[in-house]
Amino acid sequence: MKATALARTLAALLTGILCLAGCVSSGPAPIGAGGNGAQPAATGPGGASYVPAQPYDVTPLLHPKAKYFGATFDGVPKDLSPVARYASQVGRTPTMLEYYLGWGDELQTDQTEAVWENGQLPYIAWEPHKATLAQIADGSQDAYIVSTARTLRALNVPVAMSLAHEMNGAWYPWGTKGATAAQFVKAWRHVHDVFQDEGVSTVIWVWSPNIINPVPQVALKPYYPGDGYVDWIGVVGYYARTGAQDFQTLFGPTFRQIRTFTQRPFLLAETGAQPNPRKSAQITELLKTVATRSDVVGFIWFDLNKETDWRVDSSPETLAAFRTAARNHRYDLDFAALK
Amino acid sequence: MTYTEHPRPVHDETLQLRVLPPPPAEADPGFSFVEQPLPGWTLPPVAEMGWAADTGRRRRMVGRVLLAVILLVQAALSLRLANSAFEDEALYVYAGHVEIGHLFYGAPDYGGFDSYFSGAPVLYPVLAAAVDSVLGLAGVRALSLLFMLTATACLYGLTRRLFNERAGLCAGALFAVSMPTLFLGHFATYDALAVCLLALTAWLLVVVAPRHWLLAVPVGLVAALAVAVKYASALFLPTLVLLFVLAAYRHHHVRRSLLRGALFSVATIGALLGGLAASGYLTAIQSTTTARAHGDTPAWQILQDTTRWAGLLIAVALVGTVTYARTARLSEIPGWRRAVPGRRWRTCLGVLLTGTALLAPAYQIHLQTETSLQKHIGFGLFFAAPMAGVGITRLMGAHFKFPQWAIAIGVVALTLGLSQSAAYFGSWPDTRYLIPQLSYTVRPGQHWLGDPKEGPVYYLSRERRSSYQDWTSFFFIDYKAPDGRHLSGVPGYRAAVRAGYFDGVVLNYSGGLPAAQEAVRQEMRTSGRYRLTSSLPYRTSTGGGHFEIWVRQSAGRS
Repeated sequence: MKATALARTLAALLTGILCLAGCVSSGPAPIGAGGNGAQPAATGPGGASYVPAQPYDVTPLLHPKAKYFGATFDGVPKDLSPVARYASQVGRTPTMLEYYLGWGDELQTDQTEAVWENGQLPYIAWEPHKATLAQIADGSQDAYIVSTARTLRALNVPVAMSLAHEMNGAWYPWGTKGATAAQFVKAWRHVHDVFQDEGVSTVIWVWSPNIINPVPQVALKPYYPGDGYVDWIGVVGYYARTGAQDFQTLFGPTFRQIRTFTQRPFLLAETGAQPNPRKSAQITELLKTVATRSDVVGFIWFDLNKETDWRVDSSPETLAAFRTAARNHRYDLDFAALK
Repeated sequence: MTYTEHPRPVHDETLQLRVLPPPPAEADPGFSFVEQPLPGWTLPPVAEMGWAADTGRRRRMVGRVLLAVILLVQAALSLRLANSAFEDEALYVYAGHVEIGHLFYGAPDYGGFDSYFSGAPVLYPVLAAAVDSVLGLAGVRALSLLFMLTATACLYGLTRRLFNERAGLCAGALFAVSMPTLFLGHFATYDALAVCLLALTAWLLVVVAPRHWLLAVPVGLVAALAVAVKYASALFLPTLVLLFVLAAYRHHHVRRSLLRGALFSVATIGALLGGLAASGYLTAIQSTTTARAHGDTPAWQILQDTTRWAGLLIAVALVGTVTYARTARLSEIPGWRRAVPGRRWRTCLGVLLTGTALLAPAYQIHLQTETSLQKHIGFGLFFAAPMAGVGITRLMGAHFKFPQWAIAIGVVALTLGLSQSAAYFGSWPDTRYLIPQLSYTVRPGQHWLGDPKEGPVYYLSRERRSSYQDWTSFFFIDYKAPDGRHLSGVPGYRAAVRAGYFDGVVLNYSGGLPAAQEAVRQEMRTSGRYRLTSSLPYRTSTGGGHFEIWVRQSAGRS
C-alpha cells in the first residue's frame, strides 16, 4: 500500500513537472505577436530605442562630382553661429564642418545631428589624448569605442572621421615620439573593425597625415592601414610665412609619396594661410586647384585665430579673394541630390 | 445513481427515521469516483432522451460550433505571427517557380532541387509557387494555415470516432494552441501539407475501418502522397497501419483487421515505390531523411526542448492513456456504445498514440541533430492529442465535476503556445529593411555572394532584379581561378573576393561569423576592393545582429 502511494505521488510529481516544463526560461523569448523577434531594432545610448530606418548610404558622398567646401571654427559644434557668419562673409555655406572629439569624451548626438541638419557633413577629428595607441589597439578601450559606435549607429547621419591625425609629426602625444607606425595601424584597424562589428556603416574614414615637408624623414606608408580601412586621405597642410608658397610645393611631395601606395582621393583636411602678402593669391590658387583636380574631394579651411590669424578675413583683400574663388560652381554640393 | 425503488410520498418520509442501504458499487462508472447520495435524496429515473448515446443532430451541431471556435482561435493565433520569409520558405517557393517554368514552359531545370530537398520538389513547391504568383507569400502562408486547420478538424473527427465529442474538442483545443501547430500554420514549407495529409489519412482510416475492405486502397494513396510531400512523414506510417488495425478490430475479427492493415500498407508502399521508380529521388531521400548527416547536439538538449514544447500535451496524454487503460467508459452516459472495448485494446491504442509523439524526438536523438525539431514534434503531437483529449475529460470527471483541471491545463497550454510560437517565429532576422536596400543596390546580372541567399533571391526575383544563378551561397563554391584551377571552400571564397568576382556580398553578423564568412570579410577589409555600404541592425527573439552589404568599388578610386 505504501509503495503504491509513493509510486502515485512520484507519478503525479513527474506529470506536474512535465506539464510545466515549457515554462522554463529559454532566453529572452518574447510573449506576444512576434515580440521583438520580427522587429529590426537597435538601442541608442542609455538604452533608448529608436525607430529603425535604412542606414544612411555614404557611398555617393565618397567621391561626388562637386567639391566639399569645408571649414572649422572656434566653438563649434556647440555653437553653430560662426557657420552662418562665415557663409555670409564668403558668400557660400560650408558643406563640411570639422571639429574635435577628445578621447574619452562622449560624442554629442544632438550637436552632430544639428551640424548635419545645418547642411554640413560632420568631420570629427578623434584625438586620443587620454589613451595611447597601444592601449586602443589592445582592446582595453573597447567599452568607449563601442559606446561611440553605438551612438553613431543610432544617430544615422553620415560622418567623416579621422583618428590620431598628423600621426607622422612629433607634436602630438600619438605622434612619432609617442607611438610606432605599427601601433598606429593596429589601433586604426581595431577601431574600424569594432565600428563595423557594431553595425556602423555611416562613417567615412579619413586617414589624416601632416604634409611631409616638415618631417621628410618619416615615411607615410608604414602608417597606412590599407585601402579596406580608409576612404579619404585627409592631408593637413598650411601656408606659413616661410616655406612652401604655392599648392604644388606645399602638397605636391606628400601627394606623390601617397600615390605610391594608394589611389584613394585626397581631402585637404586642414588648411589655412598665415597673414602674408601672398595670402590672396594662395587662396585663389588653392580653391581653384581643389575645384579642378579630380583626385581631391574638397578642403577644410581652418578659420581660427590660433597662434596666428589663419582666418579668411585677416584682411579685406584675402576675404575678397576668397569670396571670388568660392563662387566656383564646382563647390555646389547638394546632399539631397546625392542621396 | 439510479435506484429501482420509486420515491414514496414526502410526508411519509419526514415522519420516520430512514437508513438508506449503501448504493450498489457500479461495475464501470466511467469516472474515478462515485458520488455518495445525500441521505434523504433520491433521484428519479432519468429520461432516455437526455442520455442518448448515439450522436444526435443537436449534439453534432454543438460539437461543430465549438470546433469552429477552436479553429478561429487557432487561425487568429497563427496569423498574428509576423516575420519575413525564412530561408526554407523562400527556397521552396522559388524552387516551385523554377519547377513550373520547367514543367509547363520548358525552361531549364537548374538548381538541382530534387537532389537535396526533403520532399518532392514537384509537389508542394509547385503548389506554393502557383499561390505565390497570385497572392504572394501571405497567400502561401495562408495555405499552410488552411492545412493546419484541416489537421485540427481531422483530429476532432478522429477523436470523436475513437472516443467521443468531448475528448475530440479537448484534443483539438490542445493541438490547436500548441507551438508547432501555430508555427506551422504560418510557415510556408511542406510540413503543414504533410501534417494535413497524415491527419487526413488517420481520420479516413478510422472512418473506413468498419466499412468495405477495398476502401483501404485510396486511403493508402493519401498516405503515400503525405510521404511524397515530405519524406520524413514515412516515420508515421507504422502508426497509421497499427491505428487502422486497432480501429478495424472493433468491428471485425483479428484476421480481417490484419488483412486490412496489410492492404493499406501494400497500397501505400506500392504507390511510393512506383513514385520512386518514376522520379529517381532516392539520393535526396537518403541525404535529407534516412542517412542525414549526424550532428553533435547532445541528447539531453533535444529531450529538454521536446519537453518544453510538447511536455504538457504528452503528460496529459499519459494521464489519458493510464486512466483509459484502467477504465473504459468515457462519459456519464449509461450503456454508451454497447460493446466497451477490452483493456488490452485500450492499452494498445493509448500506448500507440502517445508513443508516436516520441518518435520524432527519438529519431533526432539518434541523428544527434536539432534541425527542424520544433516542426517535427508537431507531427507526433497530432497522434498524442486524442489521448490528451481523453486525459482532460478524465481529469474533469463526469458532469464537469473538476473543470479547474481543464482550465489550468488550457491556460498553461495557451500561454506556452503563444510565447513559444512567437519566439520561434522571431528567431530568424527580418529582412524587411535588407531587401529594399538590396533592390536599390543589386542590378540584374550581377554576381552576389550572400548569407542569407534564399530570401534576397526570392524577393529580388519577384522584382526581376536578380535570379537564383546570380547568387552564390556560403554553403558551396566552385571558383575557377584565372590560372584555371578550381577552388572550393574558404580558399575559393578568398580567391573570388580577391579577384573581385562578386559585385556585392551580404553578410549576417550576429556576435561573430562562421569561418567562411569571416574569411570573406577579412579578405574584403584587407584587399580594399569592397566597401561596407550598409549595416542594417535587427533584433530576433534570441539576440541581435546586423546585415552587412558590401559592394565592390571600382579599382583604386572609391
